[in-house]
Amino acid sequence: MGNAEAPVELGAVRDRWVGVEFDWASFDMRVEDMVAWAKACGEQDPRFTDPDHTDFQAHPGFTTHCMSGRVLPDDFPQIGGGFGIDGGKNVQVHAPIRAGDTLHATTTIADVFDKTGRSGTMIFIVQRMEFRNDEGELVSTVDWKMIKKA
Amino acid sequence: MSHALSFEDIELGDELSESHPDVSMAAVTKFCHAAKHLFERFIDHEAARAEGFAGAIVPGIMSQGLLAAMVHRWAPGCIIKNIDTVFRGSLLVDSEIVMTGAVTDTDEAQRRIELDLTIIAEDGRTGVIGTATVEFPE
Repeated sequence: MGNAEAPVELGAVRDRWVGVEFDWASFDMRVEDMVAWAKACGEQDPRFTDPDHTDFQAHPGFTTHCMSGRVLPDDFPQIGGGFGIDGGKNVQVHAPIRAGDTLHATTTIADVFDKTGRSGTMIFIVQRMEFRNDEGELVSTVDWKMIKKA
Repeated sequence: MSHALSFEDIELGDELSESHPDVSMAAVTKFCHAAKHLFERFIDHEAARAEGFAGAIVPGIMSQGLLAAMVHRWAPGCIIKNIDTVFRGSLLVDSEIVMTGAVTDTDEAQRRIELDLTIIAEDGRTGVIGTATVEFPE
């Protein structure tokens, strides 16, 4: 093929990129979307479906739909093949998200590692988005695992 | 009349009742509108097949939401502090899927439990596995 690239050393990638902020965005929490999301998930708890409930708030994973402007930093090395697949999401709920909140998200690379199994070696790139409300309170952290074939 | 499940009712190994969520095209389309996730692979069977899927697929973030709703139904009033899902395989829109869960740890001091969560596709494959940390207010 003649176009093989030198393998990327994951330890060096981790040292260079983990923890570096590379994207910033804001998201308005609209009551209609919060209710529609919860109901489409089969939610019956009025804390998530009734805007008049005293403790009305977003469903736990609501921030997972808030996408950063960039998936990876501009200068991030090409690791593995293609765009990769969505390996899953880990959501930490720190505090309730209320209707009308504007959330301010910062995006970092949280981890880069590999695993070898029956289908060969796969590379995991973990993108982390941290969401804070207008008071600066951390309300949600979403880790998105992107998986690429090594 | 049943009473709301409290932390004191829960024991290691307890299982959540099996749940069969609605992943019809109508339900998934509603979710995609709410999530601003209007990709054809989620809301159009033919377009999904053209991308190599067996049909339209349930968004991974919706499957996580379905699991969260199951936890809330099992323990009304509980607070999900963390939910971590791994997307292992596609779940097809308009199929029958089954969600299960089990208690794998309890922490009396924090009134928290750990759950294992699973979604099985209609053909028996495991589509999603996950864990959740759930808190029970006093």
